[in-house]
Amino acid sequence: MSAALRSLMALALGLALSQAALAGGNAEAGKAKAAQVCAACHSADGTKPTSPEYPVLAGQYDEYLVRALSDYKSGKRKNPIMNGFAATLSPQEIEDVAAWFSSQPKTSLYTPHEAEIR
Amino acid sequence: MFHRFPTALVVAGLGLAALAPAAFAQTATGNAAAGKEKNSMCIGCHGIVGYRTAYPEVYPVPMIGGQQAAYIISALKEYKSGARWHPSMRAIADSLSEQDIADLAAYFSQVKR
Repeated sequence: MSAALRSLMALALGLALSQAALAGGNAEAGKAKAAQVCAACHSADGTKPTSPEYPVLAGQYDEYLVRALSDYKSGKRKNPIMNGFAATLSPQEIEDVAAWFSSQPKTSLYTPHEAEIR
Repeated sequence: MFHRFPTALVVAGLGLAALAPAAFAQTATGNAAAGKEKNSMCIGCHGIVGYRTAYPEVYPVPMIGGQQAAYIISALKEYKSGARWHPSMRAIADSLSEQDIADLAAYFSQVKR
């Protein structure tokens, strides 16, 4: 392998890693925030909501959670409870809590018949 | 007088106990087997891992397998009423009866992985 190719690969790897760091939030920061804002209804890890009306969040797609919270924050999606909570979250905090819940074990939510489709 | 407060609590508890079966009965009207027969318009998106819709804008499709039935019912009713935005979901939910919604919620809350 030539030196030029090696440095090119190192550059590509570096770019990919910084991309990964930029995308999404910090799950640990999200865990702390979720304990204050989300856990009372959705449970700390999002597996056991306190009411059947509330969705399970554990293992849900990060991108979907960001979208839902952003839409609640902007008012595009309306819910008296969630509009209030989402309004208190900054865009970074939305990324963080989404990273937290999406990183919880995917024992609760799944794609139907995922095993057969794959 | 001493017994008055506990008695009130017991009465309240009995009242709640009497209400609880009614609350369960509401979700129990959904028939998962019937829902399975109605899921063809759902699985095109919700049956694909990591799927995103492209129209009218990119929207990440949530995982709904194992989701709570009552939440699925309220989500579909919000789409049906127009309270929640998404053109495809509004059109689909609009075509569903209350029974269809209950059946699909039962199906997706219990469907196997």
